[in-house]
Amino acid sequence: MAAQRQASSASQTPHISPAELSYLHTSLALPGSPIRPDGRSAAQFRPLTAETDILPGTNGSARVGFADGTQAIVGVKAEVEKTVISADALKLPQQTQEEYAGNNDNVGNQGSGSGHGSWVQMSIEIPGFRDDDALPVFLSEMMREPLVESVSSEGSGNGEMAGGLKGRLVINKRWHWRLYIDVLLLSQPQSYPLPLLSLTTHLALLSTKLPKLKSQGEEDPFFDDDWDAAEYLYPRSTSTTSPTSSQQVRPPVTLLVVSVGENIIFDPDREEIAVADTVLAVSITRDSDSDSLKLVSIRTIDPPSRLTQPGVPNSENVTTLGSTAAAEEAAILNPSTGEEEVPGVWRPRRGGVKRSTVARVVKLVLEKGGVGEEVLEGLEGVQVG
Amino acid sequence: MKSLRRDFSSDPHTANVTSKIFVRSTKSGKVQKIVRELYLRQDIPCSSKLCSTCPSVAPADANGNIAPFVLSEHPAGTTAFPRGHYLVPDTNALLNGMDLFEHTGAFYDVIILQTVLEELKNQSLPLYNRLLALIKTDEKRFYLFFNEFRMETHVRRGPNESINDRNDRAVRAVAKWYTEHLRAAAKKGKKEKTVPTIVVITDDKDSLRKAKEENVTALSLTDYVSGLENSDRLLDMINESREQRETKGTRGELFYPEYYTMSKIMTGLRAGTLHQGVFNVSPYNYLEGSVNVAAFDKPLLILGRDNSNRAISGDVVVIEVLPKDQWKSPSTKIVDEEAVSKNDNPDAEDNEAVVTERERKALQEEVRQAHGKGTEGRPQPTAKVVGVIKRNWRQYVGHVDSGSTGSQASSGRRQQNVFVLPMDKRVPKIRVRTRQASELLGQRILVTIDAWDRDSRYPTGHFIRSLGELETKGAETEALLLEYDVQYKPFPKAVLDCLPAEGHDWKVPASKEDIGWKGRRDLRDLLICSIDPPGCQDIDDALHTRPLPNGNFEVGVHIADVSHFVKPNNAMDLEASLRGTTVYLVDKRIDMLPHLLGTDLCSLKPYVERYAFSVLWEMTPNAEVVSTDFTKSVIRSREAFSYEQAQMRIDDPSKKDELTESMRTLLRFSKILRQKRMDAGALNLASPEVRIETDNDEVGDPLTDVKTKAMLATNSLVEEFMLHANITVAAKIYSTFSQTAMLRRHATPPPQNFEELINQLSKKRDMRLDVSSSRALADSLDQCVDAKNPFFNTLVRILATRCMTSAEYFCAGAHAESEFRHYGLASPIYTHFTSPIRRYADLLVHRQLASAIGYEGEDGRAVIEGVMTRNRLEDICRNINYRHRNAQHAGRASIEYYVGQALKARGEKLSANGVDGGIEEEGYVMRVFENGVVVFVPRFGIEGVVRLEDFVLKGDSALRSVEERRELVVRRESEFDNEEYTLQVSDKGHSDQGMSVELFQRVNVNVSSVKEESGRGAGKRRVRVLILGTQN
Repeated sequence: MAAQRQASSASQTPHISPAELSYLHTSLALPGSPIRPDGRSAAQFRPLTAETDILPGTNGSARVGFADGTQAIVGVKAEVEKTVISADALKLPQQTQEEYAGNNDNVGNQGSGSGHGSWVQMSIEIPGFRDDDALPVFLSEMMREPLVESVSSEGSGNGEMAGGLKGRLVINKRWHWRLYIDVLLLSQPQSYPLPLLSLTTHLALLSTKLPKLKSQGEEDPFFDDDWDAAEYLYPRSTSTTSPTSSQQVRPPVTLLVVSVGENIIFDPDREEIAVADTVLAVSITRDSDSDSLKLVSIRTIDPPSRLTQPGVPNSENVTTLGSTAAAEEAAILNPSTGEEEVPGVWRPRRGGVKRSTVARVVKLVLEKGGVGEEVLEGLEGVQVG
Repeated sequence: MKSLRRDFSSDPHTANVTSKIFVRSTKSGKVQKIVRELYLRQDIPCSSKLCSTCPSVAPADANGNIAPFVLSEHPAGTTAFPRGHYLVPDTNALLNGMDLFEHTGAFYDVIILQTVLEELKNQSLPLYNRLLALIKTDEKRFYLFFNEFRMETHVRRGPNESINDRNDRAVRAVAKWYTEHLRAAAKKGKKEKTVPTIVVITDDKDSLRKAKEENVTALSLTDYVSGLENSDRLLDMINESREQRETKGTRGELFYPEYYTMSKIMTGLRAGTLHQGVFNVSPYNYLEGSVNVAAFDKPLLILGRDNSNRAISGDVVVIEVLPKDQWKSPSTKIVDEEAVSKNDNPDAEDNEAVVTERERKALQEEVRQAHGKGTEGRPQPTAKVVGVIKRNWRQYVGHVDSGSTGSQASSGRRQQNVFVLPMDKRVPKIRVRTRQASELLGQRILVTIDAWDRDSRYPTGHFIRSLGELETKGAETEALLLEYDVQYKPFPKAVLDCLPAEGHDWKVPASKEDIGWKGRRDLRDLLICSIDPPGCQDIDDALHTRPLPNGNFEVGVHIADVSHFVKPNNAMDLEASLRGTTVYLVDKRIDMLPHLLGTDLCSLKPYVERYAFSVLWEMTPNAEVVSTDFTKSVIRSREAFSYEQAQMRIDDPSKKDELTESMRTLLRFSKILRQKRMDAGALNLASPEVRIETDNDEVGDPLTDVKTKAMLATNSLVEEFMLHANITVAAKIYSTFSQTAMLRRHATPPPQNFEELINQLSKKRDMRLDVSSSRALADSLDQCVDAKNPFFNTLVRILATRCMTSAEYFCAGAHAESEFRHYGLASPIYTHFTSPIRRYADLLVHRQLASAIGYEGEDGRAVIEGVMTRNRLEDICRNINYRHRNAQHAGRASIEYYVGQALKARGEKLSANGVDGGIEEEGYVMRVFENGVVVFVPRFGIEGVVRLEDFVLKGDSALRSVEERRELVVRRESEFDNEEYTLQVSDKGHSDQGMSVELFQRVNVNVSSVKEESGRGAGKRRVRVLILGTQN
C-alpha cells in the first residue's frame, strides 16, 4: 500500500533528509536562474532515446527511454467494428440538445465527423500494479480523454481529420475502427510516469497506419492488402516544400511542469519533484491548420513534498535548546504560505498554486517558439517508419 | 529535447532476417496486419546440372540425399541462343502462354520463381495448379526456385515501389544471379563455353527496358516464340485478350454493364440483397439461364445476354433480382445459338450489338408468353448477373464455324478471327485469332477462353490443339473424354511400378502358412459363380449359397479384394482416387486401375484362386437374415456366366447339379428380397438406356447393334444381393466409423421439383402423382398406365427420374443420421462395396470394412489403412461425385454418338438418290415448345428436337435434304397452347391440313443422320427426327 500511495502522488519520494530537501529547494528557488542538480536550464529537457515501429505486428508502436532509466513501449492495434446503431441514436439527442442550447451553430459536419469516445481503448501496465489499481486506471483515463476529446475547431481545412481522432475512426455509417492502445512501462516508476507514457503514446500514434480503404460510401469496408499502401492515422505531410508541414493535427502530449518559488522548471527529475511547490500536468495539442498550439488540460498533481517530514529549527530542537545559535535564527514570514519559515530548515509546502504561476506555465508552453513547440517538433523528428 | 535512435548497422545478422507484411481481411470482416518473418539462406541450390558448387551445399533430407537437379546440362539452343538457354518467365508470361509452356515441342529447362508462382496463385488458381503439375513432371524440366528465401536473390521493396515493379525486379535479380552463378561454377569446372543464357520472358514493356539497362537478356513472349520452329502454330496458343485490349484502346464500345465492385458484392451478399449461385444454361435455349440460390426454393431465371452479363455456364455468379415488371415466365421456345446468330462476323466489331435484332425478337415472344393467362404463364422472378465470384472456364472442344472464316480463308498465314462453336451448346461461341484458319476447318479442336471483356460480344480465346478430323473415331472419342474431364492418358510409370512384380503369373500362395493367408478364410470349397454382362472382363462380384444342417441357408457375396493390391497413398492409389471411376464408352473403357489388376489379378475369374472380401449371411428359407459375417477370403469361382447363360441354365429343368440348384435358391431369395424392398417403398426408376454391341462385322444393318437393355431375372438376382451386401456393409462401417464412414445417399427430392410433371399428368391423362413419400410415389407411378400405350409408364418414370436429385457419396459426419436415407432404394443407409475394380468409393469402403472387422493384413497395417481424416474424405467424396457424374454423361454421349454413326452408316448403305431415307420408328412427345417438340425414340434411346419445318404435313415429301426443309420454315405457322401442352402445326393458309401434337403422344417418326451442308455450323452432323404422323 505504501508504494502505491507514494506513486499515486507525484512519485516515490527519495529518501532525502530535510536538510538536503531544504538545500535543493533553496537552489531551485533562486530568483531568475535556478540551479538544477544536473546543471540544466529551467526549460531544458533531458535527452531521451526514441524509436518507432519496433513491434511489427502492431499498426503502430514506439519505445521511449528517459535518461533516468525508465522506459515504456506502446503498441496501437486497430480493428474494424460494426457501429452499433444505438450508439448513434444516443449521440443524436445529445447533439440536438447542444444545438438547442446554442452552443453549436455548426450543423454541417455532424454526419461525417461524429465518432464515439469509447472507440479508443487504452490499457496501461505498470510493474507492481494490478490493472484495476487506481494509478493505471487514472493514468489511462487522463491520457485517453484529451486524445478523443480534442475535437478540431469547426471549419478546419483539414478534411481528413475532421472531428479529430474520433472522426478519423469513422469508416462509414455502419463501420468504424476501434483502437487499442497498450502502454507498457518497462521499469519501476522512478518518477511520475505520465510524461514518459504520454510521449511514447504520442509517438506510437504518429506511426500508426490503417489499411487503405478500397470500398466506397456505405459498402462493407474492403481494404487494400498491400501494407505499404496503408495510410497514417495522423496524416503526414507528403511534400517537404509545404511550409505548413508541421502544422497538422497531432495527438496531445502531456508535460510535467513544477514550480519552485518563482521558478518554473520543465522535465523535473525525481529530486526536483520532491521539493516542488506545485506539480502540473499540462496537455497540449495541435488540432488544426492554425499555427498555434492548444491547451487541452491542466491538472495539478499532489506534490510529494507535502508528505515529507519537516526539518526542526534549532530553536525548537531539544538538543540545541538554550544554545546561543538558536536565538540568532530569525523567523521569516513566507509570503506564499503565510507561515513562519526559518531559512535552511525544511518545511513541507502547503496551500495552492498562484494564478500567476499557472498563467506563466501556460504562456511558456504555448508561446510561439516555446516549450510545447519544441517538444512536438522533437517528436516529429523521430523517424517514423 | 534530443532523441536518439538505436543503430542496427553494426549487427551482422540483420541482413538475413527480414519480414513480409501484408493485410489480410477475414470472412467475418476483420482486417489483420500479418507479419511473416523471413530467414534468408544461402543453401538453396540453382538445380542446374552444370553447377559444381550447389550439390555440396544443398540441404539434404534425413537419408543424406539431396533433391535431384532438374535443369539440363545441355539445354536446347535456338538461333538466337546457340549455346542453349534457361527460361525465366514472369507472371504475365505464364498467364498469357500457359498452353505454350505445356507444349511438348518447346519450353524446356524453365526456372519458375517462387515470387511468380505466388503471384500466379493470386491471379488464377487453375493456372497455378497446371503450373504445379508441370513442375512435378520430370520431362519438361521445370524447376521451382525459392528466390525469396535465398539471400542473394531476395529483393526488398523500395520506398514508393509498386508490388509489380518489385516482383519484376526480383525476376531480373534472379536472372542476373543465375548468370553470374553459372559462369562462376563453369569457370571452376572449366566448361566456360557451355554456359547457357538466362532468358527472362516478360511482356511488360517497362521491365524489358530495365532489363536492357541492367544487361539482362529479356524477350517478350511473342518475340521469343517467333524465334522457334513451328512458330505459327505456337503463336496461336498465346492468350490474345491482353494484346487486343492494348491495340483496341479506347475505341471499343461497351456492350455489357460493368460488374459491381467486390466490396459492393460482399455488402450485398451479407445484407441478402444479392445472391450467389452457379450459373446454369438451359439446354434448349441458350439465352435462358437459371441460378439456384440458397435463399429461394426455386431457381431464379436469367434471360438474355444483357442479364447474363458474360457469365458462362458453370461460373459461380452473384445476381440481383430484377424489378417485378421485368419478371417473365420461362421460355417455351427452342432457341439455338446457331440458328439465331448465324450472320455474325468475327472481325466486324463496330456494328456489334449485344442483342442482335433476331435475339431481341426471340425475347419479345417470351414476354408475350409471360403476360399470358393462367398459372403456367405466371411470370417468375428474374435476375441479372452483377458479378462473378469464380470463373469455371475450362478447355472446350469445338470446331471452327466455316461461315466465319471469310473469303481469304485460303490466303495463307494471315492472322484472322474465327468463331469456334463449342460442342457444349450452353457455351457461347468463342472468338479465336488464328494464323491457320484454313487448316483448322473441319477439325475437332481444343480451345480455351481467355477473357470476356465488356467491349466484346463474345468471349475471346485461343487455340490449343487439334484432335483430328471431325467425325473420325479417334477425334470424337478424345473430344468426349476431354469434354467430360476424363483422365485418359496411359498410366504413368510410377503407377505401374506399384503393381505386383510377378505380373500375370501372380498366384494365391499355395501354402496356407504363407503370410498372404493371414486372416483369410479358405472358401475354395464353396460352389461360387459369377453372373455378369456378356464379355465382362473385370469381374467384381461372385455369389454362392448352400443349405445348412439347421434348415437355413448360407448366402455369400464375394467381392474382388482390390484393397490387397492397392495400398493407400501410393502412386496407384492416388491415381485411382483422381480417376474415381472406370468410364465405359461404347468402344472403349478407360480404367480406374491398371489393366493387370482390373482384368486379371483382382477379377474373380473362373477356375482360378483369387483373394476376395466376403459377406456371408445365414438366412432362413424366407430370406430373413439370422446372422452376418464379414471376412477376407480365398475363393475359386466355378463358372462365369452371362445373364443369358445363367437364365438358360436355371430355366433348363434337365440340369439338376448342385451349382444350378444353388442358383435357383439364389433367384428365389432375390425375389423375396426384391419384394421386401418394394414394400418398403423402393422406386422402380427408368432411364432411357440402350446398349450397343460392337462385336459386329461389317455386313448387315449397323443398327442391329443398338439394343435396348433387356431385363432378365438374373440381372435382378445379382442386383438384389449386391444391394443387400451394400446395405449390410454400410451399417457395419457406420457403427465403427461414425464420423468418417464412406456412405452414399439419395436426398428426398423437394416436392416443387415435381410440380410441372404433376400438372402435366393431371391435365393430359387425369392421373395423380403422389410425391409425399417414396412409397407413395412408387405406388402412384404404378398407376400411371395407359392400356393402349405400353411405353407410357416408362416415359413417366423417365420424366419422374429427372425431377429427382442425384445420389451422392458423402462422409458420415457431413450429415445428420436422418439424412443418410437413400430415397430411390428406400434404405435408411447405403454405400458402395461391390465394385472396387471400377469405383474408388468401393475401394475405400473395403479398407474401412477391413479395419472395422479387425483384419490385420500381411503387414498388420490394414487396421489403420481404413482410418482417414474427415477433411481428406470429403475432398475425395467431392471428386468422385464429380467423376461419377461425368462418367455417366460421357457414357451417354458416347452412345448418342454411336447411334448417330450407325444411322449414318445405314444411311450411306441404303440411301436413295443421295438422300438418306432414314428409318421409321415410334416416338413419344416429351416436351412441347412454342416452335417445336422434343421427341423421345425408345428404340435408340435418343431425344430429338423436332422443329416446325421437321413436321411432315400432308402432301409433303419426307425425303428432303436439310436445306430444302429449312426453306419450309417461313411457310410454317404454329399455334401453341401452353395450358394444354399442344402444338398445332400447319402451312400458312392451310390450317385445316395441319397436324396437332400433344404431350405424351405417340408419334411416328423418321430418324436419320444428316450433315449441315452450308451456312453456319456447316459440317456438323446431327440426328434428325421428322414427325410423320400421330397415333391414337
